[in-house]
Amino acid sequence: MVLQRLFAFVLLLACIGLALMAWPYQAPFSYEPVGPRAFPLLMLGLMGISLLYMVFRPTPIKHSEDEPPLDRETLIKITACTALLLIFAGCFEPLGFVLSSILIGIPMARLYGGRWVPSIVITTLMSILLYVLFDKVMDVPLPLGLLDVLEN
Amino acid sequence: MDTLGYLGQGFGVALTPYNLVTALSGTLIGTVVGLLPGLGPINGVALLIPIAFALGLPPESALILLAAVYLGCEYGGRISSILLNIPGEASTVMTALDGYPMARQGMAGVALSLSAWSSFIGAFIATCGMVMFAPLLAKWAIAFGPAEYFVLMVFAIVCLGGMAGDRPLKTFVAALIGLFLSTIGIDANSGVYRFTGDNIHLADGIQFVVLVLGLFSVSEILLLLEKTHRGQEAVKATGRMMFNFKEAASVFTVNIRCGLMGFIMGVLPGAGATLASAVTYMTEKRIAGASGKFGQGDMRGLAAPETAIGATACGALVPMLTLGVPGSGTTAVMIGALSLYNITPGPLLFQQQPDIVWGLIASLFVANIMLVILNIPMIRIFTRILAVPNWALVPVIAIITGIGVYAVHATTFDLFLMVGIGIFGYILRKLDFPLSPILLGFILGGLMEQNLRRALSISNGSMDILWSSPITLGVWVVTAFMLVLPLIRIWRKRSVQRRALADV
Repeated sequence: MVLQRLFAFVLLLACIGLALMAWPYQAPFSYEPVGPRAFPLLMLGLMGISLLYMVFRPTPIKHSEDEPPLDRETLIKITACTALLLIFAGCFEPLGFVLSSILIGIPMARLYGGRWVPSIVITTLMSILLYVLFDKVMDVPLPLGLLDVLEN
Repeated sequence: MDTLGYLGQGFGVALTPYNLVTALSGTLIGTVVGLLPGLGPINGVALLIPIAFALGLPPESALILLAAVYLGCEYGGRISSILLNIPGEASTVMTALDGYPMARQGMAGVALSLSAWSSFIGAFIATCGMVMFAPLLAKWAIAFGPAEYFVLMVFAIVCLGGMAGDRPLKTFVAALIGLFLSTIGIDANSGVYRFTGDNIHLADGIQFVVLVLGLFSVSEILLLLEKTHRGQEAVKATGRMMFNFKEAASVFTVNIRCGLMGFIMGVLPGAGATLASAVTYMTEKRIAGASGKFGQGDMRGLAAPETAIGATACGALVPMLTLGVPGSGTTAVMIGALSLYNITPGPLLFQQQPDIVWGLIASLFVANIMLVILNIPMIRIFTRILAVPNWALVPVIAIITGIGVYAVHATTFDLFLMVGIGIFGYILRKLDFPLSPILLGFILGGLMEQNLRRALSISNGSMDILWSSPITLGVWVVTAFMLVLPLIRIWRKRSVQRRALADV
């Protein structure tokens, strides 16, 4: 409940901030009665009212599945996983697709409870396979990065 | 009679070898994607959009591929809920209720083939309904002006909240988030940059595929992290694989009833498969009365939700094709795909590109038949896929998601944006917000704003145009009813509680 109130409050602040940001939006030459500002402001306003209600009367969270409560260990894991995804995004072009997916794939497999050797083997194989499948067979261009030298 | 001629033409498109192969690979890919934990029809369809585009598929083949993947995913989701008792998504919860007990009793094969059969009948009924009603609706919808469209979209958004049951406010907020996100980027009418923060990558707005994959794939990857310790053995599918005639006959009336109900609920925006499967299951349970063994492996309990899911999947395509207004998360994704091809779904699509529409409808028939046939020889392979552990699966899902996002614009900015959206989606999920309204809002947002502005330009700024025609008035009345519906439901629940307290 507290979390939900907090979340609604933060989102409400974001709404206000965005509304302030939207205030100066005006078309230099206007041919129509409704400018670029009205619709976003309307949406933000409606959202703000709903969130305000939620701050005061949060609805109880019903968990559909029997999911375990969030403990410290899971939170650390989730942070680690997010960090890995960000590293993936950062390395995608400089290191190239194959290397960056191997780089994040192995620790990720470990996070989900894989053992070292199978994790390394499967991730490496899958990275190369996916590269060939998408870049060569399906024409989705993927960066080679450091492996560029192998191309020629 | 026209309709039948067009349908024949559609089969001409769907039955070309090229499109047959497309549909077959679509159903296969879809089934596997639906099987895997963490991937549902929305991710499956979204991942394939950039790939279909990169492959250079012509639009009708691309649409056939996506529709086949959609149906395949629904089918794959059923396998994991029957054999593992783990419903992959909300709509298959009801399937697991009777499907899993059946599998435990050694009838896994029968349960699977019977559910495929039920889903086929549901889809068949809905496709027939679509053939009958879609052209009529399209003809009627041509009379729609911008004001009518705007009101219709308001109705679609409100419907989401009204149908959502226990959490209308959260659904509404989620839809508003989607509507707001759609305004990011350059404003087409005035050229004003909105909410871009001077970031050049946002000038074009948030890419649809990035939003979908972030919200659904990344948040699911994070959710799976909580469940690493949980492993469950799949029930072995041995013995008889095929249902017999007696079993099929015993559920036939259930099939027909649920198919019709599912189709109607599929056409209504916001209702969708989850609600349809729950409602039909409850209805059948009530009809069966004391003679039913619902919850302990009753075939009717398996057939009812499956028929409804099959029917809603096809029914949801009706508003999408005729009005251009998606009714569910998956159809919202398909509209996103169509817009990549510069095709705007709507009433004119039936006149301008009959090949696409009727080819799609015909290929739904074909894909459904393929799924029933696939079921029998392939089920052993599919059950083996279920045994793939998460640690091998999740990195691959993450990497493929990355490829899908990168394939759209080839910028790493999109990858970062995807991770950010994913974290946001994860928080929303933990707080019990539904995610598909965000998608619907995102798709509807642009259309809604354009139509509102166009309508007010026509009337020179007077708001009267929004409720002057009979169509708009009618839609407003229904919308008001939908707004009141959750309040009535809450009030009734309270009075029941009060009565229960008074009895004690």
